[in-house]
Amino acid sequence: MANKNTESFGRFDFVGKAWFFGGVSLILVVASLIYLAVHGINYGIDFKGGTEIQVKFDQGVTIDQVRDSVASLDLGEVGVQSFGEGNEFIIRFQGREGKTDKETNEILNADLTKVRGIITEKFQASNPDIRRIDTVGPQVGAELKRNGLLAVFYCLLVILIYVALRFDYKFAPGAVLCLFHDAVITLAVFVLVGKEVNVSILAAIMTLIGFSLNDTIVVFDRIREIDTGNHDKGFKFVINKSINEMLVRTLITSGTTFVSALCLYIFADGTVEDIAFSICVGIFFGTYSSIYVAAPFVLLMDKLQFKKAKAA
Amino acid sequence: MEGLRWRTFVAVLGVAASLVWVLPNLVNLSEVSWWPSKQKLNYGLDIQGGLHLVMGVDVDGVVKESTTRLISTMKAEMTKENVAYADVKSEKPESGEVQVVVADAAGKAAVEKFISDKYSTVLQVVGSTDTSVTARYFDAYLNDYKNRVIQQSIETIRNRIDEFGVAEPSISQQGANRILIQLPGMADAEKAKQLINTTAKLDFMIVSNEKTPQELQVMIAEAEKAGNFNMENTKYSDYVTRVNEALKGKLPEKTAVYFEKAPNAATIDAGAIPYLLRTDTDLGGGALDDAFVGYDQYGSPQVSLQFNSAGAQKFADLTGNNVGKQMAIVLDKVVKSAPSIRDRIAGGSAVITLGGGRDRNGMMDEAKMISTSLRAGALPASLEQLEERRVGPTLGADAIGKAKLGSYVGAAIIVIFMLVYYKSMGAVASVALGLNILGIFALLTTFGATLTLPGIAGIALTVGFAVDANVLINERIREELRMGHGIKVAVAEGYNRAMSAIIDANVTTAATAVVLLYFGTGPVRGFAVTLLIGIVTSMFANVFVSKVIVDTLVNKFNFKKLSV
Repeated sequence: MANKNTESFGRFDFVGKAWFFGGVSLILVVASLIYLAVHGINYGIDFKGGTEIQVKFDQGVTIDQVRDSVASLDLGEVGVQSFGEGNEFIIRFQGREGKTDKETNEILNADLTKVRGIITEKFQASNPDIRRIDTVGPQVGAELKRNGLLAVFYCLLVILIYVALRFDYKFAPGAVLCLFHDAVITLAVFVLVGKEVNVSILAAIMTLIGFSLNDTIVVFDRIREIDTGNHDKGFKFVINKSINEMLVRTLITSGTTFVSALCLYIFADGTVEDIAFSICVGIFFGTYSSIYVAAPFVLLMDKLQFKKAKAA
Repeated sequence: MEGLRWRTFVAVLGVAASLVWVLPNLVNLSEVSWWPSKQKLNYGLDIQGGLHLVMGVDVDGVVKESTTRLISTMKAEMTKENVAYADVKSEKPESGEVQVVVADAAGKAAVEKFISDKYSTVLQVVGSTDTSVTARYFDAYLNDYKNRVIQQSIETIRNRIDEFGVAEPSISQQGANRILIQLPGMADAEKAKQLINTTAKLDFMIVSNEKTPQELQVMIAEAEKAGNFNMENTKYSDYVTRVNEALKGKLPEKTAVYFEKAPNAATIDAGAIPYLLRTDTDLGGGALDDAFVGYDQYGSPQVSLQFNSAGAQKFADLTGNNVGKQMAIVLDKVVKSAPSIRDRIAGGSAVITLGGGRDRNGMMDEAKMISTSLRAGALPASLEQLEERRVGPTLGADAIGKAKLGSYVGAAIIVIFMLVYYKSMGAVASVALGLNILGIFALLTTFGATLTLPGIAGIALTVGFAVDANVLINERIREELRMGHGIKVAVAEGYNRAMSAIIDANVTTAATAVVLLYFGTGPVRGFAVTLLIGIVTSMFANVFVSKVIVDTLVNKFNFKKLSV
């Protein structure tokens, strides 16, 4: 990739490839948005409301047995999924809707009692151990969802303002665009592999926003530093030089964070596994976007600003 | 360079403080009296197992009830005072707004005067048209009222949980109308849930005069002495059971001893009056339709009861057969009041007069307490379960074990990489990383924060993140060395110039954490707290302490070379 004309700013001409990767990013984001819109997000019970029961048996209980016994209760749609080493299951149901939220809550609670009852009774010989029960009523779910979206919105807003004040107005849109890019693609991948979006996943995506921004900011910081004193060589040169100089640092930091998330993904399970998964995916796109999306976008903004100034 | 001695002092102090705070988590120091900190890290329910319930309090329902009652009182009072009106109504009683439809234009002034004379402390006129006057509870009054309903609910739930004997229950208000109940340990979650949801037991019982109060006192004192127990060291409900068991055979058939809080005692433990009650009356809370605070002809507060049709008949019979005796109103085995029956009470309504000799506020509080207790079985508002999360102890232990293992392996890989890639500076970075983690646990412990599973993920991430500061600094030092600077200058410049990037990065991460903290609930807040703490400790360990170490090596011990 190195060529003789680019030696002065470093080994790689990032800005030169920005159009290509910008296109790739655009396609990825649009594809993610379409996919999310068509397929929908599989919200977990945190957002949707419903009940989740995790139960562990001694050997010898099959998923079909569990499914059949719960289905016999006629609770509407019930999902049973095996978990861990095969003799552990997660039973999910959303509960039939009542006329009011209060009624739905009551139905949900009554259903929970029924499911617990049938499991402890029917599989008594296999020593059922109910390890976890989560029941979320409809209004709490709706509220959690609203708060979650608000959180993402305020987060982006705070970042926009901070970057605009700390650096320059032309930096802010690039940073926020890049965060949006990472969050959307990560969410799409998460949904694509069939995982459920819960409160903790939302938290993971927010952290990712923090991480990705961290990366972007460090590059911006260097751009600002190099920019003073290199005005004659043009802004394109400054950006390329900055990314090149920060490349090792970017890769090491992303790499170590990726490794710690990957270890969690391999060893832990349940919530932590899902958090680790989304962080692994997010770091990949976050690192890429801070190199190929955020910085080149600053160049674009700079050009626009320059044009405007000239026109004025 | 400058102030190295001073900075070393601060660094050592910080590390020592971290150790002091962390150690009680690792070693049992409860016996060591001189150790300054005994606090241990709180584990979230997702780690130690337990029951987490969110109950919705029907505050609106209580306000609605109060408004409805206000409307009927207003009507009665306006009729009594000859204020002309056409109707008093409320379109949204849960907002505490009432509308007085006036009879004619002249009547409007009279209605307004009536409201400001009689209800100046409670109601404010918020608008009027030619035909009506609209008034609303003062905001302060309404908020205070709602708050009292919630506080009373919390108090009631706490009492019930205390009866149950959970180790460290946490019962707190969440938002405007929710109560969060957290019970660590899952021994009997089902029973705890029942206890919270059941209403208190209300009974009307006739006081038996087969034994005088003096005789009872003596018998109880003997039973306490024989059984070696008293009310102060026994749970009230257990105490009542034990007393009645001990007195079995000595008391008349179908009677039991219950107690009333003495009028000047703070709690029932501090002073209790025994009553011998007949247990065969069979008239309970189910007979009651409503209970509310009213006033007698002298303006003293009293509690008005309204029975349902079945209850009214029973109550009429009961009072008719026991004229001259006392009737005790018993809530959860505690005698709340024991008025004398003067006459047969038919028609389904009755009043409980309160003992005099107290100030009006005290009587008012008591009347409110009794009426709310009677209405909803001690809970002032109805509760609705909105969220339940239950984690068994085995799951929590499994989960934390695996998450810990994952974090250790991740940290080990990072340390090995740092040592190989940055050599001596990598060693400094690894020490800083260790101090960083130590600091996180120290701060979590001192703040009394709760470590949740997502929190552990947060710590593992912080480890990855924290390396960033080291990488930024070390890469800078390499750049400076490449430019031909000596080690002293390179180190000084490396730290100096990396600072702005480090601060910017941390401030933005902190901003995300604060947003999470504000909007998040439960485990998510735990995640945000660890993230925030991680930022603070990372600044201390990776920037401040590591600089002290490097400065000491380079400036004090005059290391000519430092491999980076």
